[in-house]
Amino acid sequence: MARIFNSMRDGIGFDLILVGAAMVFLLALAGLPLVYNILMSFQQVDMFTLGELFRPLAGFTNYVAVVNAPEFWLVTRNTLIFVFASMAGQFVLGFSLALFFAQKFPGAATIRGLFLVSWVMPGLVVGAIWSWILAGDFGVLNTILKAMGIIEAPIFWKSDPNFSIWAVVIANIWLGLAFNMLLLSVGLAAIPRDLYEAAELDGANAFQRFWTITLPMMRSTIGAVLSLGLIGTLQQFDLFPALTEGGPANTSNVAGYWAWQMSFKLYDFAKGATISVMMFVLVLIASVVYVRSTRHEVRG
Amino acid sequence: MSAQIELSNIDKHYGAFHALKNVSLSIEKGSFVALVGPSGCGKSTLLRSIAGLESITSGTLKIAGQTMNGVPPRKRDVAMVFQSYALYPHMTVEENLTYSLRLHGVGKPEAKAKAAEVAATTGLSALLHRYPRELSGGQRQRVAMGRAIIRNPKAFLFDEPLSNLDAALRVHMRKEIRALHDRLGATSVYVTHDQIEAMTMADHVVVMRDGVIEQQGSPLELYDRPVSKFVAGFIGSPAMNFVPGVIGPDGMTVALEIAQSLSLPLAKRQEPGRKVLVGLRPEHLVIGEPEQATLRLPVAVVESTGSMTFVTTSTEPEMTVVETRRTLVRPGDTIGVSIAPNQVHLFDPATEKAI
Repeated sequence: MARIFNSMRDGIGFDLILVGAAMVFLLALAGLPLVYNILMSFQQVDMFTLGELFRPLAGFTNYVAVVNAPEFWLVTRNTLIFVFASMAGQFVLGFSLALFFAQKFPGAATIRGLFLVSWVMPGLVVGAIWSWILAGDFGVLNTILKAMGIIEAPIFWKSDPNFSIWAVVIANIWLGLAFNMLLLSVGLAAIPRDLYEAAELDGANAFQRFWTITLPMMRSTIGAVLSLGLIGTLQQFDLFPALTEGGPANTSNVAGYWAWQMSFKLYDFAKGATISVMMFVLVLIASVVYVRSTRHEVRG
Repeated sequence: MSAQIELSNIDKHYGAFHALKNVSLSIEKGSFVALVGPSGCGKSTLLRSIAGLESITSGTLKIAGQTMNGVPPRKRDVAMVFQSYALYPHMTVEENLTYSLRLHGVGKPEAKAKAAEVAATTGLSALLHRYPRELSGGQRQRVAMGRAIIRNPKAFLFDEPLSNLDAALRVHMRKEIRALHDRLGATSVYVTHDQIEAMTMADHVVVMRDGVIEQQGSPLELYDRPVSKFVAGFIGSPAMNFVPGVIGPDGMTVALEIAQSLSLPLAKRQEPGRKVLVGLRPEHLVIGEPEQATLRLPVAVVESTGSMTFVTTSTEPEMTVVETRRTLVRPGDTIGVSIAPNQVHLFDPATEKAI
């Protein structure tokens, strides 16, 4: 007994306990549900087999059914628009803001800190706020656009099939902007000042300095931000119930929300699980890119 | 010879801090000028002002006859070697060298040929495809030099380029930089806090203190005729001894206020009875027989390096004597020390200026 206690104090057993605790946590709360989800996507699940672990196998019929569902291609298109437009918006605006706040002016750090407000706000609250801003009849956005003469008639952002997915994209860009800006700011701050001075003396103008110094030095940060952005966007759920509920007629529905609808509104757990597994593969690819980009960090 | 860099009445304020005070300096074409002084004296600020990395509050800065106030660094055609080297970590040595050429639209084959040529002069030929992180400190230093040389600029600016190297390499690079300067016929401004670097490398040394040029001249001028106690103490190693004294009644001798002392003869007549600060370089003090010497000093510490012996006295203030001959002096002994009259420096105790 004393020996076990000593070995723990020496750190030989203690590190195993620490690793073990983390592994148990991961397995119980992430590993098992994942395996169960994959298992379920290959089973026939209905109200009568809901409580069982081993149900009749379905092979790939769930996958075939999901792909053949009438809304499948619409949801795929929406998911792609949602993911890439959100990421592009978050990244470009986030990078611009990070560059802006990297300039030295009074209050730069304070104002940058205030931007975090959007990040600490719950998605449902953000959704509710944007729901008012985007409202077709009394929304602020329409009022501004009309006052500036950009539009003549109000746009019904949330109920017009042409705009509904963009309503969620706009809200999501706002939600993820601060996170992008913050990570990119950290990356910018890590670039030594004298590299810019050397480049300036070598004859580089502001644009050339950005292109030949900032961007290459930010490679790993940009890789991390983009992969985290992809994961975060695919995971995004709160904005959908708050803004459009995937409608009208699935024109703003994306894979994540569709999976939730399948499982918890239609109680078709097998199809819900199938959609999640398909998304999981995408997230896995993004994660590999993320891990690789952080591992290849080049500094100094 | 024409002035390649001409500074007239330069002032620089950082808020309330007055970093450069009415600095005027003329740097001849082809000369090697060292800016030297303790940290915070403004030498780096002056260099960065020449480069354009700092703006000057008032005064005129000319490079090759053109006024450069407000001209951005990239249009000044000067190259700088940074203390940190500031190599681009994401570029190979070759890309680092050719960066400025590529920015100026030089074609790839020509840039490559130029890089090979510069690599040969700086001993980097075998390293062209390595990244800076794969190089040693000395090699990085060479890349930083090469990056400056390849552009053939109007002036080279060095900001303490050797301070990150170990002592042996520093001595070696000192000679290499100077040789390179001579070979290229370049104009160089070199900032250092190390007076030995300044003395050994430069044609013209500028000693700065608190944003003011304290004295400038050739290295030996500064050594032989320092204008103030500050310059006298800063130039020369080990540092000059300073001892309070009083001019004798005849005006041709000075009595030192330390134990067992006699008077030292002076080269020039001074005001009798005047209180002075006497500066004696350790290497000018010659140890001899106590009876024939002008000063008798009790010995506290004897340190020998083989080629030289450093003798520290137990006087107040203590003095250092450097002896190049073998000596049998031991702590507790009393040594006799002489000095030539023209090697005695006198300073005013209040203003610390040379008399």
